[in-house]
Amino acid sequence: MAEVLMILTIALPWLGALAVWAWGDDDAQQRGGWYASHRLAVAFSAAAGLAALALLPSVSSTTVLRIPIGGMFGELTFVPDGLGVFLTVVATVIGCLAVVFSVDYMRGERQQRRYYAFVLFFIGAMAGLALTGSLLFLFFFWEITALCSYVLISFYNDDPKAVAGGIKALIITQIGGAGLLAGALLAYAYTGSYDIGNFIEKAPTLPAAVLAAMAFGFLAAAAAKSAQFPFQTWLPDAMEAPTPISALIHAATMVNAGVYLLARFYPAFEHVPGWRTAVMVVGLITALLAAFMGLAANDLKRVLAYSTVSQLGYMVYAIGVGGVFASAFHLLSHAVFKALLFLAAGAVIHAVGTRDMRDMGGLGQRMPFVRNVFIVGALALAGLPILNGFWSKELILEAGLEGGPGWALVGMILGAGLTALYTARMTWLVFFGQPRSDLHAHDATSAMRVSLGALAVGALTTWLLVGPFSRMLAETLPFHEIEHLGLWEMTVEILAAPVTWLAMGVIGIGLAAWGLRERLAGVTNSLGWLSRAAQASFGFEWINRRVVQITQGAASLLRVTQTGELNWNVLGIVGGLVFILAILVWGVR
Amino acid sequence: MMMPMGVLAFLGLILIPLGVSPFVYLLGRVGVRTSEQQQARATWVRWAALLTLLATWIPFVLAASEFARRGPAEFQLETIALRLDGVSLLLAAAVLGLTTLAALFSWPYMAGEIGEEKYYTMLLAMTGVMVGLGFATDLFNLWVWFEAMAVSSYLLVAFYRRQAASLEAGMKYLVQSATGSVMVLMGIALVLATTGTVNLSEIRAGAAGSSPALLAAGALFVIGFGVKVAMVPMHTWLPDAHSQAPSGISALLSGVVIEAGLIALLRALMALAGVTHAWGLLLMGFGAANMLYGNLLALKQTQVKRLLAFSSLAHVGYMLLGFGISLYTGQTGGAQGAFFHLLTHAMMKGLAFLSVGGLLYALRLAKGDHNPLLTADLDGAATRYPLAALALSVAALALGGLPPLAGFMSKWQIFVAGFQTQNAVIMGLVVFAALNSVLSLGYYVPLVNALYRRKPSDVVAHGAVIPQAMLIPLVILTVAVVVVGLIPGSLSWLTGEAAKALLAAF
Amino acid sequence: MKNSVRFQRSFEGEIMNFSPLNIILLGVLGLFGVGLYGLLITRNLIKIVLVLQILVKAAVLALVLAGKAGGNLGLGQSLAATVIVADTVVAVIGLALAVQIRRRFGTLDLPAISTLKG
Repeated sequence: MAEVLMILTIALPWLGALAVWAWGDDDAQQRGGWYASHRLAVAFSAAAGLAALALLPSVSSTTVLRIPIGGMFGELTFVPDGLGVFLTVVATVIGCLAVVFSVDYMRGERQQRRYYAFVLFFIGAMAGLALTGSLLFLFFFWEITALCSYVLISFYNDDPKAVAGGIKALIITQIGGAGLLAGALLAYAYTGSYDIGNFIEKAPTLPAAVLAAMAFGFLAAAAAKSAQFPFQTWLPDAMEAPTPISALIHAATMVNAGVYLLARFYPAFEHVPGWRTAVMVVGLITALLAAFMGLAANDLKRVLAYSTVSQLGYMVYAIGVGGVFASAFHLLSHAVFKALLFLAAGAVIHAVGTRDMRDMGGLGQRMPFVRNVFIVGALALAGLPILNGFWSKELILEAGLEGGPGWALVGMILGAGLTALYTARMTWLVFFGQPRSDLHAHDATSAMRVSLGALAVGALTTWLLVGPFSRMLAETLPFHEIEHLGLWEMTVEILAAPVTWLAMGVIGIGLAAWGLRERLAGVTNSLGWLSRAAQASFGFEWINRRVVQITQGAASLLRVTQTGELNWNVLGIVGGLVFILAILVWGVR
Repeated sequence: MMMPMGVLAFLGLILIPLGVSPFVYLLGRVGVRTSEQQQARATWVRWAALLTLLATWIPFVLAASEFARRGPAEFQLETIALRLDGVSLLLAAAVLGLTTLAALFSWPYMAGEIGEEKYYTMLLAMTGVMVGLGFATDLFNLWVWFEAMAVSSYLLVAFYRRQAASLEAGMKYLVQSATGSVMVLMGIALVLATTGTVNLSEIRAGAAGSSPALLAAGALFVIGFGVKVAMVPMHTWLPDAHSQAPSGISALLSGVVIEAGLIALLRALMALAGVTHAWGLLLMGFGAANMLYGNLLALKQTQVKRLLAFSSLAHVGYMLLGFGISLYTGQTGGAQGAFFHLLTHAMMKGLAFLSVGGLLYALRLAKGDHNPLLTADLDGAATRYPLAALALSVAALALGGLPPLAGFMSKWQIFVAGFQTQNAVIMGLVVFAALNSVLSLGYYVPLVNALYRRKPSDVVAHGAVIPQAMLIPLVILTVAVVVVGLIPGSLSWLTGEAAKALLAAF
Repeated sequence: MKNSVRFQRSFEGEIMNFSPLNIILLGVLGLFGVGLYGLLITRNLIKIVLVLQILVKAAVLALVLAGKAGGNLGLGQSLAATVIVADTVVAVIGLALAVQIRRRFGTLDLPAISTLKG
């Protein structure tokens, strides 16, 4: 049964992609406004979501499906363990909600076949990535998600910014991906198989240098995929995508893959010297930098993008301090509330036609439904009780208290305060105060309401699932040493912990700071340099530009060598001969 | 020994295309006076070429099944021995597959060109000669096939006699190729002088220790064949020739001709395998240079076909890396990956050149315009040419090594072989190769973006229709690229045998 | 095999006596050098084709010499004959192309007919 469901979870979206490509329509004018693309996409993504949910009861740590590929390609294996199935459910269910939301958001757009086909392809690839037990196919699906994200980010191909954003996402995640490639190849070269379980088991017997190379290679890949320091720059530029795509990338698919990778291989690498500290520091730096940038940004989607980067920093930090469960739990909370925020922001942007928060203001009265669900998401993001973000964030901080140094914990608590501050700022600028420009606005339409309502309920309730969720992970991940955590246990534990109250205090200060922003004008002004540095993305964009410039410059310089003159071309041949002879003479001696 | 049936089969592989080619020329020329007659004859010529290539598949299938049953076979004709082994079978498969599709593609593409019969004559001759190159068992025979391949390709590169650029490219190609050919002859002379034979297996047996003369001979082979393989810095003819040739020929040149040169180089080097292990290192070094140089230069190209030509440089680099690994370690893994990449590259680059050719035809040639197709002209091509745009996108992304397309799997196989050596330098080279793939996306991907713009460029908006016959090869190759990407084991029966045959010396 | 040993020795330059083989070897090296040098400096297309001929003659001579040195003179000679035939074809095509180029470009000067670059 489990193998059928697993195949369905991956195959349904991919078949859906083919179906959309074959029978879909490119815009509503085609085929009498039947909206074939919409309908096919919704049907297939919903079916995939149901298949993934149906997989939940049959989680296990055994490999239930083996398809031999032959030779050096090993076997395509699938393992429905807790972590994989959990991520699959997130990808398919939230993906399905994004598809439903798209029905209204993308109405009237052109090239809808390409849009829906790649959304479905993306969802299927993410399910494959989470479920596969083979390192080769982990990388295979990993690269497909990069491909899909690129296609969808630069969906508006006529906009040079969208094209640049897509290419940037592809190239940066691929550069990091080379780390995963090297790691997977090392695993194969030293253990003779691509099997992930087998590798984790044999990890302690590998040469230390090999294991360390793998550990840091995987960290680089995860950092690139999850937009962590120093690869974080692609994610804000990915905001040129249609908003449902942003929700998909940020909540359901792409960025989770990096955290998943670290969580999956944590038991293999935890004893590599310096690896846990590196992971923790990457998470810490990312969480703080992105929070500052979120505070300085004026583009609604960019603020959300920075908040994603920052929250992913929390998850990565959690893995660094050994809280794999806390990390996965926050991934769940974040997926729900970030999808909610993005889709709500999408409803706002769809209504008013701009992303600049300075032009908004006072929209709450005209779109009350969107305002209400946005506030739910915002409070969850800020980490206020009793929303899901509160519980998972406190679990992370508690894990940090147990497994990490104090200075890092202080940083993370400070980050929580900053999160509260920029969340308050964003909510206020969009929905409250006086309208700052003459914008036409209407409340969310029905398909949007379905998605938003479902997600808002999720943001209020997913924390109640902690018991079954932790049991599922504890029972199916033999190497992770995760303990079962009941709901009542968690409540007591968190409410009794001093770090919770400390964090609440800091979050309170963050919220208050926005309330008292006029009286704190002096402080704000004195921190102007920080704001300017944040707006300049702390110099990382500059580094990116320089790398591109240097590559392009080298290419231009090299073009000179292609003179097109025959004498020069023959010199190449003669020079090559002399060069090889010299090498051989030198080598033989 | 083989049954007479098998002998006939593998002789037929060479003789059918080679033997028919002069008759195709005569068919197009003899008794033709008026232009109506010429047009009628041209249709005959196209049919003759296509049917000949299709007929050549019969001996191929026979030879392949004989090979599967009995393994390698040899055939003695006076002093010349021809041998069918894994390498020759693989080369024959790639050559036949791509030429058949190219001939079909050329049907409308070359229709009405001056000297169309010459085009098909040379196409058939080149096919037979390339298949024959795989069968050579001695150095000199190898050189003869190699030279014959070069000669037939000169005429095809310079086919547009009215186009100055085409003539220029053909001339450069001729001079450089001839220079390389002389280097090979010098190498053969050194081997002959030292060992007293040109037979590959006898040389291998005789040349055990390191000798300066044989080292120099190897160097001359690397350089001489390297001109044809387009190793940096002997590559300078390639971007000109591959971009100026008719598109069907560009596909063949990039897809199989340079690879045939590579196989010739490997055959020659394997005879000298006992002399030194440095050959493997040398090939890996050239591979790294080719990847970086090809990718960087492709990054700045504005002409689509020239861009693809530079990308061929980079892809030859991957093959060199794979073969180098095998030559260095004596394990078959790298060679198998490289042979796999040779096949997938033939598909991917063939697809890329044919789809660009289709667009070039619709946007320029159909109107008698011989200017090169620029990347800017492709804007919004998908709006009017969805199939060609899809084919080009699949080809570009596959060349960039993205799954689930063929290029990903063949690169992976080379990379695995590199890591299996557990040698830090080779592993470093593999990571370098992987990063080069990322760099290559920097030019493949904007091409795809341009194709899918909503607003078509002026050229696209006023373009002609792409004929059906051109689309058939595109569909076949697109499906092949996807299927091989999903089922990478589907070609291992060819690549495994080829790697075993190549490394028989170890 | 005796010949081959002698050849190797002379190739390594141990003893440089003026045996006929060594004189021919000098001829080969001379032609080869002149050919390569000519390809590097000649700027006229017809001359390039001629220089190419010099280069090929070096190879022809080398094959005959190698046949003698390797103790298989017949083989060397037959190879040389084949090379001459193949090379004539190349020369003919080269000259034909040169004629066409003269017609299209109006010149045979290399810099003037180098339009494809970069």
